[in-house]
Amino acid sequence: MNTHSFEHELKQLAAPPPDPAARERARRAALEEFQRRPGTVHQLHSPRRWRPLGPWSSGLAAASIAAVGVAVYWLLPPEERVLAIGEPATSPSVPTYTELKHDEPEPPQSSTARAERSAITTAPPPPKMELPAVETPPPVMDIMIPQESLPASAISNATDRTRPAVAPAPPPPPLQASTRALEEVQVTGSRRVSREFDSPMAVTTIIADTLESENRDKFQHFDVNPVKRAAEEPVSTFSADVDTASYSYVRRQLDDGVLPPADAVRVEEMVNYFDYAWPAPASRSAPFQPTITVSDSPWGTGKKLVHIGIRGFDLPAARRPDVNLVLLLDVSGSMNSPDKLPLAQRSMALLLDSLKPTDTVAIVVYAGAAGQVLAPTPVREKQAILDALGSLRPGGSTAGAAGIQLAYELAGRSFRKDGVNRILLATDGDFNVGITDREALKSLVERERDKGVFLSVLGFGQGNYRDEMAQTLAQNGNGVAAYIDTLNEARKVLVEQASAALFTIAKDVKLQVEFNPATVAEYRLVGYESRGLNREDFNNDQVDAGDIGAGHVVTAIYEITPAGSSAQLIDERRYATGTDAPPRGRVAPGEYGYLRIRYKLPDSTRSRLIESPIRTRASVPAALRQDVQFSTAVAGFAQLLRGGRYTGGLSFEDVLREAQASRGEDPYGYRAEFVQLVRRAMQARGIQ
Amino acid sequence: MDDPQTTVLIRRAQDGNASAFGELVDSHYDTIYRFAWKWCRHRANAEDIAQQACIKLAASLAQFRFEAAFTSWLYRLVVSCAQDWQRSQQRHLHAELSGDELQPDDSRTEDAIYIGQLLEQLESLGEGMKETALLVHAEGLSHAEAGAILGVSESTISWRVHTMRKQLQRREPLASIHA
Repeated sequence: MNTHSFEHELKQLAAPPPDPAARERARRAALEEFQRRPGTVHQLHSPRRWRPLGPWSSGLAAASIAAVGVAVYWLLPPEERVLAIGEPATSPSVPTYTELKHDEPEPPQSSTARAERSAITTAPPPPKMELPAVETPPPVMDIMIPQESLPASAISNATDRTRPAVAPAPPPPPLQASTRALEEVQVTGSRRVSREFDSPMAVTTIIADTLESENRDKFQHFDVNPVKRAAEEPVSTFSADVDTASYSYVRRQLDDGVLPPADAVRVEEMVNYFDYAWPAPASRSAPFQPTITVSDSPWGTGKKLVHIGIRGFDLPAARRPDVNLVLLLDVSGSMNSPDKLPLAQRSMALLLDSLKPTDTVAIVVYAGAAGQVLAPTPVREKQAILDALGSLRPGGSTAGAAGIQLAYELAGRSFRKDGVNRILLATDGDFNVGITDREALKSLVERERDKGVFLSVLGFGQGNYRDEMAQTLAQNGNGVAAYIDTLNEARKVLVEQASAALFTIAKDVKLQVEFNPATVAEYRLVGYESRGLNREDFNNDQVDAGDIGAGHVVTAIYEITPAGSSAQLIDERRYATGTDAPPRGRVAPGEYGYLRIRYKLPDSTRSRLIESPIRTRASVPAALRQDVQFSTAVAGFAQLLRGGRYTGGLSFEDVLREAQASRGEDPYGYRAEFVQLVRRAMQARGIQ
Repeated sequence: MDDPQTTVLIRRAQDGNASAFGELVDSHYDTIYRFAWKWCRHRANAEDIAQQACIKLAASLAQFRFEAAFTSWLYRLVVSCAQDWQRSQQRHLHAELSGDELQPDDSRTEDAIYIGQLLEQLESLGEGMKETALLVHAEGLSHAEAGAILGVSESTISWRVHTMRKQLQRREPLASIHA
């Protein structure tokens, strides 16, 4: 077969015309469903009678109930809506999110439905900044115009406007008057970039852009790690990953009533979102020690799960190094949504509480151009920092690259040799203007990392979020990528885990497991698809890998099929030769495999090695039982969201049961929230 | 974007107008059914998938917010119904081997055998391959449109199209076995 014919054949594939009777049946069934919608608030609680269509329709029942909720929501008068949707909701974040959602700008040409919706959007007041209003310009303001990123006409134009931009900022436009806000792009740190921006057409384009943005979240595609035969490929190598962005993104999608796209679900990030009680090492000389447990796999009879848990050494507050922090905020027009810039501002304000008075903070913004809003200022002058933060308003297009350059320049100016030098980038992920070359940006981040300035990325908002870019930048900048969807999430990342986000205790942490073909037939690494390394990378100190911050918890799970089990997926090779047999020397019947971890101390370029056997009898100690069970439930859930290729008969119901049984103390309620998330997924299944 | 007539229909349907909704179903049933048929190449199964898609449309139309073209949104819905159907068939198959039900109704012709094998092969190449092939080649959508429907980036679609071409080139000509 040649390629022409395969594509051609598909093109020729012609469906027979539909049968009018079938069309009529479908129409009636759909209409019936359609007319069920009004006045069915109570049905949110009681499952409706469902006429099954075939063996596969049962999942849709739950889905339709959720949809009914949405439909009913729009039928109620505005003042009752939040109540109606809030009633079945068990997570307090839902009504808030619904309000936020509809605060998004609407295009000027509105029809009846649109008008009705925008009427509600004004009803809930936009979330107020808790910071005091500022009437005076921020303390310092240098403007750097990235010449190379602007058209010639714009440069002269922009230069003319440099003065006005430094002048006192106009009073902040109210959030709901989005059209006006967009016309007044001339705000702190940004200004009209070009003449086109003055025309009403340009404004419309931008609004349309914001609206269209829903489907533009970008995720790197990856395929699920396959099952491997221990006899053929005994060694598995990957990089540690402490990011949790995927979990927050998935939560947001599910709160919105839709299942997340498969590529947005990274199993390891979902699992690593939670804290597990893996024991910490006693001293900083060995920054962590692995905990290994073996338990039965809940989704594969005859299979076992090997948990590898790592907890980083936590720094006592008194011994924390000095911090030189540069906040780099995206203030472009696309950040004009309550869950973007305003949330970023409040998140950054929270962060100040976890810093020492002598630490310094600088603020750089970027939009049409990049500008310094605040020179490095000690945290003890907190008000000055808060004022500068509070003065930021969104507007203009995005020039992420120029902003990063300026931020690195500032970080370099106030560099602390024995301290932590870090840029915290807050963005919805738009780097479209300026240096769009991802490689150039990546190599800049790498160069600066080698000079000692690290980069972390905080993602905000939805619709424009470029996960791939955030991941790349943070991975290359020795930082974390977190996705912030609520103020609560900001608190988790920036306050509770501040030391983890700020203080790296080990760099380039790589894990390698060699499986013992005598005891293990097959294995599969659950998640970590985007973190795979080549076997030879493990001992190569030039190869970059993930970093672990103070107190960070990392968990990896392997699913293994012990030798001789009937659960084996891959058949024995008929023509196997002696080379497939277990290696000469050690047979080690008591070991499933051998774990090696390589890491570097933050200021070192040479790696160290930690080794530990994976014993067949490494059962789960009672103190860790709940954590193993809970992390397994999360891993199962994440795999189901990705399509559940290897999870057998596991269902959301099973996940729910397991998670509920292993919630434990749950002081911050994260695990309770996960249970709600599973319920949401059960409702959302099928709606998309 | 969509033609103004469709937009008006959607808005009226969203406001609860049943006849507008009926009209909307009527005007899109062909698209829905034809894609469903290409997916399974079996009339009755395609009708099932299409009907399920129409019901789903009723349930979720309120969520359509004009952020993407309606047809893209609709395709997404149909693809998800087709995937659901396929999963249920696989479960079904494991439970009790049912013979005729799965056989495409045009299985007698050589072309049909070829297409059937081709789609199976595409499926075995990985997640989303069959969906991509049908949307891009059989439905003639652009990579960007297919990406929006499947919730992946345009470059992922391009990569898949490229991979399929490369992989299929390497394989034996299948049709000739039966020729």
